[in-house]
Amino acid sequence: MMFEILDAEVLGIITLTLRMTLFSTAISSLIGIPLGLWLDSARFAGKKLVVIINRTLMASPPVVVGLVVYLLLMRNGPFGFMGLLFTFEAMVIAQVLLLTPIICGIVHTASARSAEGIRLFARTMGANKTQTQLLLIKELGNDIFFAVVTGFGRAMSEVGAIMIVGGNIRHQTRTMTTTISLLRGMGEIHQAIFLGAVLMLIAFSVQMTADFFRKRERASDENF
Amino acid sequence: MKVKSTAIACLILAAILAGCAGQPLVGASPPKGELTLVTTTSTVDSGLIEYILPYFTEETGWDVRVISVGTGAALQLGRDGEADVVLVHARSEEDRFVAEGYSPRRHDVMYNDFIVVGPTDGPIAHNNDAGATFAAILEQNLLFISRGDNSGTHIRELDIWSAFGLTPEDNPRYIESGQGMGITLGMAAEMDAYMLVDRGTWLAYPDVGELVIVCEGGAFLRNPYGVMLVSSTLHPTGAQAFIDWVTGPIARELIGSFGVEQFGQPLFFPEA
Amino acid sequence: MKISKLTKNFERFSLFVDEMELVPGKIYGIIGPNGCGKTTAMKLIAGLIKPDSGQIDRCGLTERDITMAFRKPYLIRDTVVRNLTYPLTIRGIQPDERQIKESLSLAGLWDYRDSFAPGLSSGEQQKLSLLRAMIFSPKLMLIDEAFSNLDMESAGLFERMILERQQTNPATYLICAHQLSHIQRLCAYIFFMHKGKIEARGQAEDILYAPQNPHLKNYLKYASLREEAPGWNS
Repeated sequence: MMFEILDAEVLGIITLTLRMTLFSTAISSLIGIPLGLWLDSARFAGKKLVVIINRTLMASPPVVVGLVVYLLLMRNGPFGFMGLLFTFEAMVIAQVLLLTPIICGIVHTASARSAEGIRLFARTMGANKTQTQLLLIKELGNDIFFAVVTGFGRAMSEVGAIMIVGGNIRHQTRTMTTTISLLRGMGEIHQAIFLGAVLMLIAFSVQMTADFFRKRERASDENF
Repeated sequence: MKVKSTAIACLILAAILAGCAGQPLVGASPPKGELTLVTTTSTVDSGLIEYILPYFTEETGWDVRVISVGTGAALQLGRDGEADVVLVHARSEEDRFVAEGYSPRRHDVMYNDFIVVGPTDGPIAHNNDAGATFAAILEQNLLFISRGDNSGTHIRELDIWSAFGLTPEDNPRYIESGQGMGITLGMAAEMDAYMLVDRGTWLAYPDVGELVIVCEGGAFLRNPYGVMLVSSTLHPTGAQAFIDWVTGPIARELIGSFGVEQFGQPLFFPEA
Repeated sequence: MKISKLTKNFERFSLFVDEMELVPGKIYGIIGPNGCGKTTAMKLIAGLIKPDSGQIDRCGLTERDITMAFRKPYLIRDTVVRNLTYPLTIRGIQPDERQIKESLSLAGLWDYRDSFAPGLSSGEQQKLSLLRAMIFSPKLMLIDEAFSNLDMESAGLFERMILERQQTNPATYLICAHQLSHIQRLCAYIFFMHKGKIEARGQAEDILYAPQNPHLKNYLKYASLREEAPGWNS
């Protein structure tokens, strides 16, 4: 599988990678952001333990997560009947397991730092629960944005887990990172580096966009 | 003064530790140096290399560092001068490697065979005609997983398709895993797919699910391994010693007996 | 609003409010040395924290009718105008443009209406937070040191604003301040707190000019109060 610079196959791989990254980041954000906010506000026995477990999961080795998802999805596993192993969905599932603790952890930390003041303020204004939650998300916007961008970066660069559960099947579950790994195995170091550079370029664009949005808020408080 | 004496103490300690580390743990011959052997995953994953190397080290005094990658990458490492010896299985690629001047010559070491495996209840009955088997897979659009990674097995698979004038991409259910032998076999077992696999991996893999051998035997499925000294080696004596040893009588016997106890049959056969 | 036998315990501090009654439409003051429990008492009254025991009868007031302004106000990461109208927005009330312009202009904030509110100076932040607290006409307003960073002119402005409102749209106020001049000008009735308890209470002139309690006497020793208490509405 030699390819020209940015031929149809490479474009397909890039599209697939971005699609997977967007899906996994979106789902992980939908779970991780409320979970992080909840983890800060909730009071229950063993909360400290939950926070520590989440921090541990933030650093869980992708290969292990991949193997766990593999065991769950394999034909003789508990979810084997769904036939998800070696599919796009399987990669998203593994990614969500990897990203959710990261997004949840960053949001929780940010929330622990400033949410109490925001909640207090919301109550003095007479905001109801939904309005308080909305205000919280708006006020922690920058931190939440950072959590999502971090998740996005992680999802795009991940290789260990998706290799195992996706199977690196050409045209189906082959992403930029698994392709790089394959090219390296084939001795095609130059192509591997080229694809790596494309990956870095996309990551850079994402960070630039993120920074642009962050800057906009900054610029407006330079009035003083 | 104090600093100086501490430094000297450290040096002495380091020297003692280095001396200990350098002591050979086994073997009669004093160590001569370390060779880098680049070989394919099949020889390492099956356990063969680990089994025979201590005998070589004991006999010749050369330590061996083993790097296992696909055949394509193995030869590339040889071209890059990262290897002293390469042991691979893709005859056409090996001949090209010699022709390009990266090695003076290729030596036969051993062979085993490829087999085609597939689901128990599949439409292909057990046979020994690789061409007919591949043609049936293509015509009936049966799910087939290719390694797709320029490995020896992948190259052989492509050779078989082209030898019979078949275009595997015509089969919409022809997929490529781009991964190693064992992982791909695991995928085939999960997906009830057909695939070309070497017998050693097949025998050694713990759970192949519902898969059975559907095709074995015949010239197309013979899988010879060759060893080559890399011209740019920094240890020509050691590299030559390895080649002489691995093609010699002791290695022949070791290779022929490896795996018999565990699998009831040898995984590799030494070349006569 | 009636409070009885209220307790709240913290690690290093405990609060006990035996009895406290706030009559609607009156302005109350709360004074006392640092760490005496003024803020805690106000937070309990506002319902921001829950008491360990005791009763608060809010006489039908809900959270939406009560507000509290702090010394360090929280400003939304948004413009000055959006901060001001936040209480209206969450109540689904369309803000009155003319009223917005008037109140922002009065506080000298109209020119900064589209600026990033957390970027304002601390005094401006306090002014904005006071305006924001008053914009939805709460029935009970607790002001915790919210005048502390204001210059004299601005403080006077807010004092006047509160007193004017009492004529047209009366509310209950509980004001805590260390600058006793504010208390003196605004409040009719004063509570003095010491070490978590209300040690003295009474009409403003009795508390400020004829203190009986030894702790209160000591607290007032360093205060410089004008002999006559003018009051903006007197």
